[in-house]
Amino acid sequence: MIAVGDALPPFELEVTATVIVAGAIASRDFMPAHHDPVFARAQGAPDMFMNILTTNGYVARFVTDWAGPEAMLRSIAIRLGAPAIPGKPLRFSGQVAAVREAGDECVLEVAVRAANELGDHATGTVVLTLPRRA
Amino acid sequence: MVAVDEVRERLEKYVGQPMGPGAVAPDPVNVPMIRHWVDALDDRNPVYLDAEVAAKTRFGGIVAPPAMLQAWSMPRPKIEGIARRGGAPSELRSDNVVAALDREGYTGTLATNSELEFTRYLRPGDQLESASELESISPRKTTALGQGYFVTWVTTYRTTAGELVGRQRFRIFKFDPRTIDPARLGAKR
Repeated sequence: MIAVGDALPPFELEVTATVIVAGAIASRDFMPAHHDPVFARAQGAPDMFMNILTTNGYVARFVTDWAGPEAMLRSIAIRLGAPAIPGKPLRFSGQVAAVREAGDECVLEVAVRAANELGDHATGTVVLTLPRRA
Repeated sequence: MVAVDEVRERLEKYVGQPMGPGAVAPDPVNVPMIRHWVDALDDRNPVYLDAEVAAKTRFGGIVAPPAMLQAWSMPRPKIEGIARRGGAPSELRSDNVVAALDREGYTGTLATNSELEFTRYLRPGDQLESASELESISPRKTTALGQGYFVTWVTTYRTTAGELVGRQRFRIFKFDPRTIDPARLGAKR
């Protein structure tokens, strides 16, 4: 049984240039700040940095790695903070914030945080449903 | 006496208006792009690629990773000159609030919030279109990045048959880099 307060297994992502570029191109985001460190620094960023689509993708993966293939995400709401840059691992943590039943589904709210040594990269809430029979 | 913010007043006309022309995704939802994403993020949820496992779940077959929603409708980029355009993927520029703030000197951009909502998961073959509308502009704010405005828009994703499949609310802070306060920036770190 899933209960309020349950912690998700923590996940540490080794952020490299390859991780950032792979996510940017898979999401068809060709903004130079996500693959070109020289461009990124000229714009005032400390280095090339992860795009938001990739951040959302890793937040989704972090939650479904725990919730399993029957999980259906309803929303991902995040506040964006410190950039995710090469050489600074991102640590994902999460906790079940609410559980309720709705018809044949269980609706879960999960509070998530992805942080590196610069601070919080993304904090927010993922809402998902699971079939109650599962 | 309350000071009148003339910049903010000039921006008011954009509220509730489209951020640009709507767009049809270049390709329908498809397995090659899903595979590319799944490998890039090392996401091994079987419902994205394993047809046999996916068929036994409530999805009844392969579905696209929900966080790909925006990826399907990203515009085709023109790579040549992308850095000179400040990273804008295409040469098309709409007269919207972001362009207006650039003209007013608020050229800095910092994304602050993203809220994705998924009405249903997408399946291969779904053809999407998207349209964005400016929801709100804040009063002028002073932050560690200097003075600027929080700008929020909502992108609605539908199939070309008109079925709503998801939404994204996105907020950025458009700031004037000349007003950055180094003391406050330093204090954050």
